[in-house]
Amino acid sequence: MATDYRVPVEPEMETLDINVNVGPQHPATHGVFRMILTVDGELVKDLDPVIGYMHRGNEKLPENCDYRQAIGYHDRTDYLAQFNTEHCFVQAVEKLGNLPVPERAEYIRVILAEMNRMSSHLMFLGAFGTDIGLFGTSFMYAFRDRETIQDFFEEITGERMMYNYFRPGGVAWDVPENFEARCEQVLAKVKRGLEDIDGLMMENEVVLARCRGLSTVSPEDAINWGLSGPMLRATGLAHDLRRAEPYSIYDRFEFDIPTGRQGDVYDRIVVRLEEMKQSVRIVEQALEQMPDGPIMAEGMKRILRVPAGEIYMRVESPRGEYGVYVVSNGSDKPYRHKVRGASFSNLSALRAMSVGRYVADVILILGSIDIVLCEVDR
Amino acid sequence: MVQETTQEPPAAPPLGPVAQLLREALRGIDFETAQTPIDEAVTIRRDDFRQVMQTLRNDERLALDYLRCLSGVDWITDLEVVYHFYSFKHSHGLSLKVRCPYEDAHIPTVSHIWQTANWHERETHELFGIIFDGHPDLRPLLTEEGLGYYIMRKSHPLADIEEWQEDYLQTVQEAKAQMAAAAGEAPPVDEKAAKIALAQKKAAVITKTREEARAKGLSAEDEKAAVQAALAKFEEEQAAAPSAAAAPAAPPVDQRAAKIQAAQAKAAVITKARGEARAKAMSAEDERQYVAEALKKFSEEQAAPAPEPAAPAAQAPAAPMDRAAKIALAQKKAALITKTREEARAKGVSPEEERQVVAEALKKFSEEQGG
Repeated sequence: MATDYRVPVEPEMETLDINVNVGPQHPATHGVFRMILTVDGELVKDLDPVIGYMHRGNEKLPENCDYRQAIGYHDRTDYLAQFNTEHCFVQAVEKLGNLPVPERAEYIRVILAEMNRMSSHLMFLGAFGTDIGLFGTSFMYAFRDRETIQDFFEEITGERMMYNYFRPGGVAWDVPENFEARCEQVLAKVKRGLEDIDGLMMENEVVLARCRGLSTVSPEDAINWGLSGPMLRATGLAHDLRRAEPYSIYDRFEFDIPTGRQGDVYDRIVVRLEEMKQSVRIVEQALEQMPDGPIMAEGMKRILRVPAGEIYMRVESPRGEYGVYVVSNGSDKPYRHKVRGASFSNLSALRAMSVGRYVADVILILGSIDIVLCEVDR
Repeated sequence: MVQETTQEPPAAPPLGPVAQLLREALRGIDFETAQTPIDEAVTIRRDDFRQVMQTLRNDERLALDYLRCLSGVDWITDLEVVYHFYSFKHSHGLSLKVRCPYEDAHIPTVSHIWQTANWHERETHELFGIIFDGHPDLRPLLTEEGLGYYIMRKSHPLADIEEWQEDYLQTVQEAKAQMAAAAGEAPPVDEKAAKIALAQKKAAVITKTREEARAKGLSAEDEKAAVQAALAKFEEEQAAAPSAAAAPAAPPVDQRAAKIQAAQAKAAVITKARGEARAKAMSAEDERQYVAEALKKFSEEQAAPAPEPAAPAAQAPAAPMDRAAKIALAQKKAALITKTREEARAKGVSPEEERQVVAEALKKFSEEQGG
């Protein structure tokens, strides 16, 4: 638990609460985010998050694109989990249009989505290290492994960030011949790297002292605040959309759902670290089961029109429930295209989690949410 | 679930299991049902909204405790809000829709039932212009100062990229005129505009004062003081002017300024008393006592003329006067330092000697001032 390091004040002095502006550039660059803290000394009395610096009309623009063009906009919402977001959108189109997907494409998608989960969580562990003051150690270890995954994605898609690889009905092109061998290579590296990070972070004195017992959240509050993903599981609820509402082919794999005990910052790190180990398991199973065959459904039209209807498709992204609400009126463009970012709902609970804490702890709480501002602002 | 996507969708039953539960829980309320590829969807009338929402959350059979998503949809004929729910207890979901006409775009808030709705509703209000009645804080979320028009409505098409820059201002104006024409939505925009105008005026005052201060070559601290004095003056003027827009904003600011001034005066007393005590070489305990006595005396003095409320106001202008004299003194000092230093450099002395010369000049100056 944090020690009481308030300076005793002279009782005659009248003190005023001060407004402190943090941002719009987070010190560790979580994206362009600003918060207005009302502080009484070191104690946070009120917190007003200001978002919207990355608002680009990411819901409006796809309403003016056809269904395939809109995929690129999902790379640009959660730019650390591009395959997960693409996965969500293409499934929404497939379910609306009742399109078949070949087996091989499903396996490729799941493997890439799980690898993406690992790279996103590695990013979190690295960035969180800088938040807590371990710059250069956890960051470099995490990014060493993240880089191998990044290279692997680049070999497949030709891009380092905006992959744009999934398509309604399959994937854009087949993976390289050495896909499985490379995949195993990357997995071996990541597994070894995870041990390093585990040893480096989880029993680190600084991490223990600053994160344990910080900002505990009860499951009831978490549900009411709309938390999802690791934030929700840290409170002890074993809720994972891959298990609760299995989409794609997730019902074929064996994996555990790691949970925390009291929903504090430490539990959130533990859950993410354990999740990466589960992702490794899923990828290994998927590699074993992966069949040969086509990667794109037959008879796909050049112009894709989906029947009128609506769907709220959701997937378990690294940050939680990423949802797309698509309304179709039968044309080749979505009539309404709404993105439910996991970070958006998670971040909206920041005020409730931070009030009454110290300023330095707010940075940790913010870091532990693992926000991606492009997904918050859209 | 490849098999499922390849199959024909099952013939939609008239009432899904969740809708069945809803019908049992809400006898006497009509709603339409539909089947989407994943969730069941029900459409309710706006009049039943509050009752239905309470039931969704509190009824044991439904127990929809998780609001996943809240979306607005512009159907051109009217506006729609879609809620997606999930129940952790029963692992079922439901999508619920409610419509409202353009002219009366009001829907009761659900942010007191599901707190996560707070930001979702703010965003939907901002992008679609739907007003959620009873929402605690309906400020714009993504655009801090608000746009004045609703970008997600179908009546606001994407601008052509080539002509974007020329047409932009016109589009904004047209949209604003359109907004003003629509009844019931003008007041919030107006209030905001007044607020913005006030803030802009304030910013102009700050910029002006700062530029003047820089022209005079003041130090950073004095510059800050000058800006604060100008701001205080501006706020007084604003409070004095019978402007409707400024009136509500001014009083809390004034109060705060008065509080700050009082605190500053107190701090000055403490500093002075401490300085005196140290000059007399008192012990730490004696010093504290001395300061406490000075403070007591000060508060007694403060309390004496307090009965009439004009006292703090009368005291307020005194502080800037004091500050102005201080600034003039500091300027003279700065000029002296510059002059002495330049002379010293012209003579080609070492930096240490230069420093000494400046210190001597300053000492002389303060003696003259004291005399």
